[in-house]
Amino acid sequence: MTCEPVRIDSWPRGILHLDGDGFFASIEQAIHPELKGRPVVTGIERGIVAAASYEAKAYGVKRGVPLSEVRKLCPQCVMLPSDYETYSLFSKRMYAIMRDFTPEVEEYSIDEAFADLTGFRMLYHCSYEEIARRMKIQVEKDLGITVSVGLSLSKSLAKLCSKFRKPSGFTAVPGHQLHILLARTPLEKVWGFGPNKTAYLNKLGLKTAYDYVRLSRDFVKRRLGKIGVEIWSELQGEYVYKIDVNAKQEYQSICKSKTFLPPSPDPDYVKAQLLRNLESACIKARRYDLVAGRMTVYLKRQNFTTVGLEAVLSRPTVATLQLAPLARGLFEKIFEGGTEYRATGVVLSHLEKAKPIQFGLFENPLQAVKIEEASKAIDAINAHYGKHSIFVGDALKLQGRPRGKNDIRTYRRDHLLPGETARRHIGLPLLAVDPDSRIIGACADATPKPPRILN
Amino acid sequence: MQKIRSFQARWGRMPSYSELQDLFQFASKNAAYKLAKRLISEGHLQADETGRLKSRWVLPFAGQVVAGFPSPAEEELVDVMSLDQYLIRRPEASFLLKVTGDSMIEGGILPGDLVIIERGKSPKSGDIVLAQIDREWTLKYYKKEGKTVSLVAGNPKYPVLHPKEELVVAGVVGAVVRRYR
Repeated sequence: MTCEPVRIDSWPRGILHLDGDGFFASIEQAIHPELKGRPVVTGIERGIVAAASYEAKAYGVKRGVPLSEVRKLCPQCVMLPSDYETYSLFSKRMYAIMRDFTPEVEEYSIDEAFADLTGFRMLYHCSYEEIARRMKIQVEKDLGITVSVGLSLSKSLAKLCSKFRKPSGFTAVPGHQLHILLARTPLEKVWGFGPNKTAYLNKLGLKTAYDYVRLSRDFVKRRLGKIGVEIWSELQGEYVYKIDVNAKQEYQSICKSKTFLPPSPDPDYVKAQLLRNLESACIKARRYDLVAGRMTVYLKRQNFTTVGLEAVLSRPTVATLQLAPLARGLFEKIFEGGTEYRATGVVLSHLEKAKPIQFGLFENPLQAVKIEEASKAIDAINAHYGKHSIFVGDALKLQGRPRGKNDIRTYRRDHLLPGETARRHIGLPLLAVDPDSRIIGACADATPKPPRILN
Repeated sequence: MQKIRSFQARWGRMPSYSELQDLFQFASKNAAYKLAKRLISEGHLQADETGRLKSRWVLPFAGQVVAGFPSPAEEELVDVMSLDQYLIRRPEASFLLKVTGDSMIEGGILPGDLVIIERGKSPKSGDIVLAQIDREWTLKYYKKEGKTVSLVAGNPKYPVLHPKEELVVAGVVGAVVRRYR
């Protein structure tokens, strides 16, 4: 296939995308080095795969596959509970190492980040490719995980590049080689194109990203609107989507949901789960100084159907004590006896910045102010002693309940260090290696043991 | 923050605004001031009443103490230092490890101690390393003579180990932490 270049300048900008390879699973391999080279999946507490190592992926294990399926595909697979605390520590370290190279880093998700290297060639006396390679090597050396790095002219292109070779891949595509990358990229791989847009474009006779960028701007605008034009420009190497260096501060809505195993038909227990979600959502909203105008609660049945109800609040608030009675009321309306539920969730929406309280006509201002004050006090106590140290009474039902067979505690929770409590840990990852020299000492005497092969 | 932390680790104090300017290669001191103001507002830094940056998480460091005899230096505050900054040079590359086994007792590492492992650092002869020797994990002195590398225990009970197949150094021990109670 021959195609014309899309642009001739090489590096008007250097945008980098860094993507962790099977992030959660490779972190588990980094802190449990004996798992290196073995198929590992995380997510045992949810009953489905949250992340799979590349060794597991080779057996066909993917994200979202039920663990029973994993056992069939790959019986020797190591299954672990998710340890989000450690994953987020690694994630923060990954961003910090990237920030050593450039201050413009966007924390896109727990395992992905963008960085703008534009202008740093002079500082480092080397090409953008070389800077990106150094960053990749530094992250891999310091954290013990592998990452894939893509480097190009815009965020969309950098993201395409990082997906191009995985795991531990490095792809840099300068402007004059864009057409080669685009011609090899099917439309569904383009960032922002879902199945519907892809199907529509296929009907127009387009197959690759290159076909798409060859369309005229007017045509794209007419058929796909503003977003279509943005993607079209990004793919041509224009810097449309800017790197957002600010940590996420604005939310349209905050959703907290949790799947529990085993599923339960017990109204008190399901309600307790729901209120725990409400508390978590309120804590997050208060952290960003937001109040919610609406609250939605939903319950997911064992057959994966969902039932939910939304309430419009007379006055925006995120005080748990004000929302809890309302959540209980909504729960009573949607809960059906004899049905098994597997998850509950709470969505706070119509969020806005918290302002001084404007009371409604039939409200008791004294009580409302007291509740707001209580919320602040609860936040302060929880900040000191750990999240959910103080909680609404309904959530007591969560304690002392027999745990399901999938409720396996993480290594970190089971190995508290001196001075740590279940809720407060030292902010350093704990290696799970047993450096007990006696194994080696024993193996070095009389009969040498053959080297242990990990598979 | 990394740059500021390394400055503090090196000099034992927070940088002044003109040092901040040099640190970030800003053209003006005002830019350094604005950056500091933002970091203060986000809670990463703190300033004292005169506006100077001050260290957080500090412990008073009371000079040298002679064990056994009370010394006047005890009362004298020499400076302030933070324990985590003292123990951890590169926070991004540091990991904790709880030690089992007694092979390093002469190196001052007892069973139950925590060691801080620094990854991504090439070991020098004499360093204590966490290594995988022929697929077994161990904590030993790293010894290099010419081209041969061996791992030496800090306890005469244990033999010197020579890798037969491979040796992977996962990290170098930067600090040991022991809690008595």
